[in-house]
Amino acid sequence: MKRFVIAFIAAYVFMFFWGWLLNGVFLKDVYAETPNLWRSQSEMMSLFHWIIIGQALLIFAFVMIYASGFAGGGVMAGIRLGILLEIAAIGMRMAIYAVQPFPGKLLVYGSISGLIEMIVVGAIVGAIYRPAAAKAVS
Amino acid sequence: MDWKKFFISFVAAFGFIFVFGFLWYGKFMHGVHQEVPALWRPEADFGSHFSWLVFGHIVMAFFLTLLCAKFVPAGGAGACAKLGLLVALIYVGADLITFAVQPLTTKILCGWIVGHLVQFTIAGAVIGAILKSSSPATS
Repeated sequence: MKRFVIAFIAAYVFMFFWGWLLNGVFLKDVYAETPNLWRSQSEMMSLFHWIIIGQALLIFAFVMIYASGFAGGGVMAGIRLGILLEIAAIGMRMAIYAVQPFPGKLLVYGSISGLIEMIVVGAIVGAIYRPAAAKAVS
Repeated sequence: MDWKKFFISFVAAFGFIFVFGFLWYGKFMHGVHQEVPALWRPEADFGSHFSWLVFGHIVMAFFLTLLCAKFVPAGGAGACAKLGLLVALIYVGADLITFAVQPLTTKILCGWIVGHLVQFTIAGAVIGAILKSSSPATS
């Protein structure tokens, strides 16, 4: 349980700063191309707690899946899980791209950065969470 | 791994996810989505991007099936539904983040959350039921 919490916190801290660096700094100009699709800066700040809760839920689910099925596999198992989950998320991103008029490069940048993010998250969780015995989801 | 059962469960998962998505997000939530028309592509533009919608669902269904086959090699509707629910929680987390950065209404957020939870839990159950019917010793 202690390692679960530590893995959760470490992965969460990474995701938070990665998300800020990527979306708040690197992709800022790309987002600015479609201002009608995004909330204003002040509106986003007033809803910032939803970003924190959303990221926490995402990381919690990741660690839960890892602890249920990949536990004991170490860093490589965590990375494998991260890649599998992110490719599924890329599928969701493609479906959203079909209905929302954001630029195609945002789909590409978001998918590449999401893959990097989930690989690192998987490595962090895999390195920290090492239970005594692995067990499959049941 | 029984690849025939894997393929059947993937096709079944894709069919369910796609039809559920069409009914839930496309029909049931159509009016709610229209409260913020600026967020969506016009009909003609959507039509020219439809292949992305289909391919995206294929990717989701394939990797959900792969996760179930890897995590729960013996299959089983209950165990795979649990995995589907955990995967859905990842999408729900993404929904909450999207709500903070895009001008979605609370009704849209709630609809997406319920949709994802139902969609992936049932898809997991469908995959698990088909995988279990193959062989208890699959790996």
